[in-house]
Amino acid sequence: MAEFAELEEIDGVRMTWNVWPQSRLEAAKCVIPFCALYTPAKQTSQLQVVEYDPVPCKTCGAVLNPYAAVDFAAKIWTCPFCHTRNHFPPHYAGISEASVPAELFPQYCTIEYSLPRMGALSPPSYVFVIDTCVAEDELLAAKTAVQQALTMVPEYAQVGLVTFGTHVHVHELGFSDCPKAYVFRGSKDYSAAQVQEQLGPHSQAAQRRGAGGPGSPLKAGTPGARPGNRFILPLSECEFAVNQALEELQRDAFPAVAASRPSRALGTAVAVAAALMGGCLPAGSGAGRLMLLVGGPCTEGAGKVVDKELTEPIRSHKDLAKDAAPYYRKAKKFYDAIAAQLVAQGHSMDLFACSLDQVGLSEMKACIEHTGGYVVQTDTFTNPIFKDSLRRMFTPAGEEGYLGLSSNATFEVHCSKDIKVCGVLGPASALEKKSPLVSDQVVGVGGTAAWKLCTLSAGTSLAVVYDIVAQHGGGGGDPMAAAAGQQFFLQFVTRYLHDSGAMRCRVTTITRRWVDGSSQGDLIQGFDQEAAAVLMGRVVSYKMEEEEDFDATRWLDRSLIRLCSRFGDYRKDDPDSFQLRPQLSYYPQFMFNFRRSQFIQVFGNSPDETAYARIMLNRESVGDAMLMIQPTLYAFTFNGPPEPVLLDVSSIAPDRILMLDAYFYVVVFHGSTVAQWRKAGYQEQPEHAAFKQLLQAPQDEAHTIIQRRFPTPRFTDCDQNGSQARFLLAKLNPSATYNTSSSMSSEIIMTDDVSLQVFTDHLKKLAVQS
Amino acid sequence: AAFPRPAGPAAQVEGQVGPPAPYSPSNCKPEFVRMTSFAVPNSQALKARWHLPYGAVVHPMALAGGPVAVANPTGGTIIRCKRCRTYMNPFMAWMDGGRRYSCNVCALVNEVPVEYYCALDASGRRLDHHERPELCGGSVEYIAPAEYMVRAPMPPTYVFVIDVSFAAASSGMLRAACAAIKSSLDSLPGDERTQVAFITFDNAIHFYNLKSTLSAPQMMVVAEIEDPFVPLPDDLLVNLKESRPLVDALLDSLPQSYGRASQVESAMGPALQAAFLVMNHIGGKLLLFQAAAPSLGIGRIKARDNPALYGTDREYSLRTPDDPFYKRFSAEASRFQICIDVFAFGSAYMDLPSLGALPKYTGGQLYYYPGFQAERDGAKLHAELSHNLSRETAWEAVMRIRCSKGLRISAFFGHFFIRSTDLLALPACDVDKSFSVEISHEETLLTGQVAYLQAALLYTNSDGERRIRVHTMALPVVSELIDLYKQSDAGATATLLGKLSVERSYSAKLDDVRSGIQQRLVAALREYRMLHMRGMGPGIGAPGMGSALSPNSLVLPERLKSLPLLTLGLAKTAALRGGGRDVSSDERTAVGHQMIACSVYDTLRLMYPSCYPVHELAGDWGKERPDVPGSVALPPAAPAGLEYFNPAGAYLVDNGRVLLLWVGQAAPPAFYQQVFGVQGPPQDVSGLSPEPVRQGSELSARINAVLRQLRGTKELWQECWVIRQGTPMEAHLMPYLVEDRGPAPGSLG
Ligand SMILES: [Zn+2]
Ligand SMILES: [Zn+2]
Repeated sequence: MAEFAELEEIDGVRMTWNVWPQSRLEAAKCVIPFCALYTPAKQTSQLQVVEYDPVPCKTCGAVLNPYAAVDFAAKIWTCPFCHTRNHFPPHYAGISEASVPAELFPQYCTIEYSLPRMGALSPPSYVFVIDTCVAEDELLAAKTAVQQALTMVPEYAQVGLVTFGTHVHVHELGFSDCPKAYVFRGSKDYSAAQVQEQLGPHSQAAQRRGAGGPGSPLKAGTPGARPGNRFILPLSECEFAVNQALEELQRDAFPAVAASRPSRALGTAVAVAAALMGGCLPAGSGAGRLMLLVGGPCTEGAGKVVDKELTEPIRSHKDLAKDAAPYYRKAKKFYDAIAAQLVAQGHSMDLFACSLDQVGLSEMKACIEHTGGYVVQTDTFTNPIFKDSLRRMFTPAGEEGYLGLSSNATFEVHCSKDIKVCGVLGPASALEKKSPLVSDQVVGVGGTAAWKLCTLSAGTSLAVVYDIVAQHGGGGGDPMAAAAGQQFFLQFVTRYLHDSGAMRCRVTTITRRWVDGSSQGDLIQGFDQEAAAVLMGRVVSYKMEEEEDFDATRWLDRSLIRLCSRFGDYRKDDPDSFQLRPQLSYYPQFMFNFRRSQFIQVFGNSPDETAYARIMLNRESVGDAMLMIQPTLYAFTFNGPPEPVLLDVSSIAPDRILMLDAYFYVVVFHGSTVAQWRKAGYQEQPEHAAFKQLLQAPQDEAHTIIQRRFPTPRFTDCDQNGSQARFLLAKLNPSATYNTSSSMSSEIIMTDDVSLQVFTDHLKKLAVQS
Repeated sequence: AAFPRPAGPAAQVEGQVGPPAPYSPSNCKPEFVRMTSFAVPNSQALKARWHLPYGAVVHPMALAGGPVAVANPTGGTIIRCKRCRTYMNPFMAWMDGGRRYSCNVCALVNEVPVEYYCALDASGRRLDHHERPELCGGSVEYIAPAEYMVRAPMPPTYVFVIDVSFAAASSGMLRAACAAIKSSLDSLPGDERTQVAFITFDNAIHFYNLKSTLSAPQMMVVAEIEDPFVPLPDDLLVNLKESRPLVDALLDSLPQSYGRASQVESAMGPALQAAFLVMNHIGGKLLLFQAAAPSLGIGRIKARDNPALYGTDREYSLRTPDDPFYKRFSAEASRFQICIDVFAFGSAYMDLPSLGALPKYTGGQLYYYPGFQAERDGAKLHAELSHNLSRETAWEAVMRIRCSKGLRISAFFGHFFIRSTDLLALPACDVDKSFSVEISHEETLLTGQVAYLQAALLYTNSDGERRIRVHTMALPVVSELIDLYKQSDAGATATLLGKLSVERSYSAKLDDVRSGIQQRLVAALREYRMLHMRGMGPGIGAPGMGSALSPNSLVLPERLKSLPLLTLGLAKTAALRGGGRDVSSDERTAVGHQMIACSVYDTLRLMYPSCYPVHELAGDWGKERPDVPGSVALPPAAPAGLEYFNPAGAYLVDNGRVLLLWVGQAAPPAFYQQVFGVQGPPQDVSGLSPEPVRQGSELSARINAVLRQLRGTKELWQECWVIRQGTPMEAHLMPYLVEDRGPAPGSLG
């Protein structure tokens, strides 16, 4: 696995299989789809950035890369994808063996082009959409956090403000005489055109200017100085207005009836804000973020999630399974439409859900996921997680916590003959680019060879799923392919607006080996079990949402059995003979943990929590996603440095401190003895400095993790036998439960789940069945 | 000039157009109630020979009536007849030693409640007669107990709805209106209780959050004009005292904010609906400032004015609301105690016949400033708006007029909505509003010697007291026509005729209305002439007429001698004059609107202007009257006819709406010097003004004093225009010179 991670460092690519069978038949037997998990904006150390345009192949559009055969004399390059012979453009006249452009250097299989841009750079725009149906102190905390965030926004960045309760207020920040807002009826369903018309002709004019699309030249001039734009303005021009509006922002004044939820027109607010952005911000001109701060679920108008009556509980997974959530489908459809609109505009939506109750993320999911937005979930606006997360969104480059958010990205793939693209699993939307590369088999967002990512962060990872269509092995009847050797190529071209304001184009070209596929040994050499686990995670999440009555556990089990059956070493019908090669050995454990995780066992969670977890699994890189599937557990003892230990209840010991990193939360767990000592305050005594250090080490480690990660994970500090310990125990393999007679550990887990051992035994039995 | 002129200073005309001596000293003052005749014909047949309208002009809050005593200052019982609900008045008949009384209106014998009991004197009057205002005076106020309230008395509430479209800003209306409102805030009645709200509109509706804890007003725009809604549940209508700094700030900033307004659309109807939502829980006054024709949303105005319809059966439709929205909305506003005043500023047709319905049915007022320009007309707006805001106002009022058995009210004229056949709903009623009624006879003869009329206005005063103002009048029942003439009141008669003629113009051709006026007058005079020929008793001829009557000579009842001139003037008012091209629909509506609700005095001025010569320093005119401190003596008026004007002189013509200073062709340069501060007669006098007082010129000082006196504290503030004889401008004066032979049909000539 280490070698795959090294390759990832260079190109940002992890592949489920690094060796592919050049046969549709053999490929079908591989169980795990052929997939590249690519992180297009990965911050790599040796990234080469050049200041010119990439050179495309005239036939297939793939970009010139180190794998192209070059005839320096004739100034011709042969495209490795389609074998077209291309003339170099005139300004490449000077190239020779001695003078090679960077994109041909073998080590620059990933290279970034900084593209000259016509016209002015467009500044980023942030439209804050703030819920006023919250308690006084909550609103104050939300306002304060936004005001603090604004101090971090560069002056040229543009800001807009929308607030909502029973109705939706769009604040006209360009109006200087007094705070002014346009009010939209919360219960009314507005089209984007209606919103724009009501906001006045100025926003329409802006829209017309932007109608030429991202390719059209932008008018020169000062950034953001579009005359007549009164709602989304450079901070330098509206700092006073936005601060005044925030300071004087009142709670929603419409009285909520006793024992009922407030009238919260969240859906209308999102629709209005999206339309506002569409009207004021020319599509594709710059990063646009709709930052939604919400304190509860939508109860009014389109997008309504739950009735106002408190006796009516908000929908659970059980309700969804029984189709007993009356507003769910309608709300989802509503938000899906807004998601499509945001994507068309090139804008992202971020959700800061600060509520004990659910806010309807499950319904809104498309708005976040399709636009690459972020979700921060916490209980209240006074929680530091909210404030810190909001601040992180604005942390400038070069400072700690910088998120590296790029925008307006298009992602395009090219691949060799015999390979087609099924789709992408990730925070991307289809660009409807028809191409011969597009497979009929659709996985995730398919039917296209190009996608749009409104937001692209350094960690955004796209799983590109391929279909091998070769009819028979060995390069088929194509002499050209045979001549090209046993290699196939994949290329990823990502054009995006860097947060420096520059247009960038990153091109990653990779090559892997074809085999005929009849030998499972050849294939298994290239198996990346982590990448495979993450891909299966995304596939299952996707299927759970898209397919009715999909039985995830059963599907995962069958896949696992088929995989082990195909690639395990065993004698038929002899479970004891079953062996897995190292490349595959951890995979069953990954699946074991994944089956037990919140992704599959949804009933212990709310639909919002599930939606959140899925958004993250669908976006983060293989390393982070692995933590979601199978947390890591470290033990801290007096006997040396911290060490990874089995994710098993047997790892608990009285004199140990355990640190669990489950991605969404980090737990520091003190064994009973350690906990007693800590309670007794030994760490305060000079003679127990070592104990103090022991206590401190996992805390430091945990906080390093928490600070790096975004959104901020929850932190739990607990002791063995304490009530908070459940966060750890839930993730441990129940090798000792009240069902097992022999207890090896000091701890048993109260669960009926099978242990990893039982699971593995079953697997062996089924895998070897003839 | 055979007719006495019904114009000029009060003393000059009192005998011509004033009421006769009261029948009973306990009658309410004529300032409150004037009858066309202060005698009641005893039968339908007798009344039919009267020919003129028979009825009353009731002016319940008239300032001229003076203060009205409170009958129950401690809030004690209010005594009313059990059957007809007539209030206790000086004309009840006491019996059984004061334990019972007989109702003067319906004759029912009522028990006297114990707490109201008082013994009687020898003449049958209560011993406490003189201590009780309701027993000794015709006008009285009661403090209403809880059963007269359906809710707690409302505070004075003012909602300003202001057009801020291009026309509003460019004409200066917005700036002038804001300044006037701001300067009137201290004079709003209600002290600590007064509430205000502001709504502005162009193509959208703008609300203002004026919550007292805010540092600045917050503006909220609702562009949803098809279905307006209120963006906030509270804080739009705020306590003026608490939110005063925000209100001041708003009024200062509005002209600024919309100073460069380019929005030409005006969504007035939706703005009214929005204001309705803001105030319907409480009611109050809605003051609409409309700069141009409403062009968006419900109630938008079509260019429907069409002079070609004159003379057709649809002519009247030019004078009535086009869109049913206006009547519907007004009725709804009335139901929720909302009174609407409309300030209209359009320079082009803005369909006042439609807009006028808003005040007409809600007890409001229509103000019209055609082609408003702030530099020229700002003072007028300022004065009228200030007067509107600071005058005493009766809130959430209803009025009922009762009369003796055998009589009934058959028609009402004024600004109100009729609820349950005879109850006038008046969301607000003020000192300037009068209400007129026509009285009909039932089939039966009136049996008693005396008939009664009682008008009761139930209202909330600005201090939050629920009150009932009751005016009672006793009238002799007569069986001879001559007695009707003897008690007739030319001013009230002409006024009522004017009001019903205007009302009739909303359903008939103007030609028919005018000939109707003439027919009534001719019929009345013919009747009188026959009476005269029969030699019915003494004192019926006009002095100087002689007893030998030539067949064609005209005989007039002494008290109605000015009626022919007044009816002539009535037919020449802008409300009724000419055809489609003579008076614009908007102007016609504005004048008609004023006529139907204003006092007798103001109506007479509209019919027959006073023309005061102001070129000679002889006499005491223009000086303070020693007998009435604070009042300025007026010059004796000249007849309203150009032939009576001295071409070397100057005349100030007061037509009730404007003051026209006519300067004769031969007026000396000194006059220009003294009055206008300019050399000689300039080419163009339209820019001249007699104001302010020119230093060192007595003539100027006197003219200014006269202007002040004429303007007084009336509802409409009269601008003063200068017109030079022989210039085209003179055409504007001609309609008012009613004695001149004009093209107007229906003149008696
Ligand atoms: Zn190619
Ligand atoms: Zn009675």
